[in-house]
Amino acid sequence: MDRPRFVIDSAEAEQMAKQSGQTVLQLLPSLVKSAQILARPPISKYHVGAVGMGSSGRIFLGVNLEFPGLPLNQTVHAEQFLITNLSLNAEPRLKYLAVSAAPCGHCRQFLQELRGAPDVKLLISSSEDEKENKLNNCCNDKDQEFTPLSHFLSHRFGPDDLLEKDAPLLLESHRNGLSFRSNLCNDKIDGGDDLKHAALEAANMSHAPYSGCPSGVALLDVEGKIYKGSYMESAAYNPSLPPAQAALVAYVASCGGGGYERIVGAVLVEKEDAVIKQEHTSRLLLQCISPKCEFKVFHCTKN
Amino acid sequence: MDRSRFVIDSVEAEQMAKQSGRTLLQLLPSLVKSAQAMARPPISKFHVGAVGLGSSGRIFFGVNLEFPGLPLNQSVHAEQFLITNLFLNGEPRLKYISVSAAPCGHCRQFLQEIRGAPDVKILIASDDDDEKENKTNINCNDKDREFTPLSNFLPNRFGPDDLLPKDAPLLLEPHRNGLSFCSDSRNSNTDDGEDNLKYAALDAANMSYAPYSGCPSGVALVDVEGKIYKGSYMESAAYNPSVQPVQAAIVAYMARGGGGYERIVGAVLVEKAEGVIKQEDAARLILQCISPKCEFKAFQCEKA
Repeated sequence: MDRPRFVIDSAEAEQMAKQSGQTVLQLLPSLVKSAQILARPPISKYHVGAVGMGSSGRIFLGVNLEFPGLPLNQTVHAEQFLITNLSLNAEPRLKYLAVSAAPCGHCRQFLQELRGAPDVKLLISSSEDEKENKLNNCCNDKDQEFTPLSHFLSHRFGPDDLLEKDAPLLLESHRNGLSFRSNLCNDKIDGGDDLKHAALEAANMSHAPYSGCPSGVALLDVEGKIYKGSYMESAAYNPSLPPAQAALVAYVASCGGGGYERIVGAVLVEKEDAVIKQEHTSRLLLQCISPKCEFKVFHCTKN
Repeated sequence: MDRSRFVIDSVEAEQMAKQSGRTLLQLLPSLVKSAQAMARPPISKFHVGAVGLGSSGRIFFGVNLEFPGLPLNQSVHAEQFLITNLFLNGEPRLKYISVSAAPCGHCRQFLQEIRGAPDVKILIASDDDDEKENKTNINCNDKDREFTPLSNFLPNRFGPDDLLPKDAPLLLEPHRNGLSFCSDSRNSNTDDGEDNLKYAALDAANMSYAPYSGCPSGVALVDVEGKIYKGSYMESAAYNPSVQPVQAAIVAYMARGGGGYERIVGAVLVEKAEGVIKQEDAARLILQCISPKCEFKAFQCEKA
């Protein structure tokens, strides 16, 4: 696998399983190590890999991303990367998840935003040798089977504590009905209208039912490719994934292993009189990872 | 309780329990509502209260804080407020917590930083028996009437022992980071008042718990009356749930009856010069947002 891949289509997944004499479910933990290699954790050097299977049968990878020079709350966890990857690829449902280490509480909470979260089946995988040597209390028979997420976060605090019964959840379609005010159309940026409109589109798909402040970021690389990311909120607030991070996930998942310095332009679209604002922290993040990146903010309104 | 109080000493706690015909443990959930009243959640209006009993027998309160104008990951959860409150008051150990709602995963994770976290006993309080009967929420079951170990709420935990050596000090345990000002920061032109603030922030940085990044930091705030409030950065093994130093200082401000944020007129951040992570820019943003007139300065320190 020369070029890092973050999605495996269902036919190929079945084939890979067959070739290695495994079921597709057994294949998931065997892919965790190759996911870990793709992680970018320069602060901890602690590589986390997550491998998920969606209802479509496709397999998705997630890895952790750390950003030196910024506070630790800007970090992206492998499970969050995975969910963002599902979102980018319009996968409506996560069914199984294999991870290289026990998901932390922040992630177990973020995962609650999914429909049927308590039933998502989780496996904490480790290599055979590691299983024997492990003194950690994680090592028990349970690790060999998929266990429902409800076991890992009982008595959950989740969307149903705050939202209406029929509110769309994360990965379900959203249209936020946002558009630019006409007098903003003349502001020029490299990548032009495409970048601006990509960010607007990302803002329109953003899941932000708690603050009512959806937002999106679009990034432009040196080759003119555009990567979009939507803000994804958590009922517990703090685990929410900011739009710049979501766009970076799109970049890492699709850019074939390139560095952040290849990102030359970025647009954030958010509501003008929003009760929460992404602008300043997005700017800080982008300045940090790609100092030459041109960053612009455009405000939108609900129709 | 006219004046917002965030700590009840052990003698008074015993007395309060006795007067209301309860045990100390039964007193905890009965105080949750009054804690909730002190919360500041202008975004969600969802008031969360946490009441904790330390090994000293003192009772501590925690409330949630939200900051309009900032991203949601700047919020402070009631359980984090509670732990910060224990930290400010030199309380070495948390034994019991009663909360107004099930702690979220972010908090269950943050709580893992304290010694004996899996054994901390948690009770999700509800108002009274009427509410218990009317509640259709799945959280309402027999478990809610008893204190349950945190290990039930976060089994197969990811915690400090996954990353730190066996004998490393944990959150709330004493340690000194051995930091002092870098020469340029030491000699900067400050008057006495500013000096006090600078050294308070350095003190907070020296007490800061940051074993994962190796970048301890502290913030000191000063209000219109010249009172100083210190907060130390407190890290989580899972990174994101870490409490930033500005937030820790705001907890100190609130816990000691500070009042509105606009009364905060000065702030100093002290952090390491060549740290792998930086608090300065985010700290400036937060303070500009909650108290636009606040004068903010950052000074750098190094390990002696």
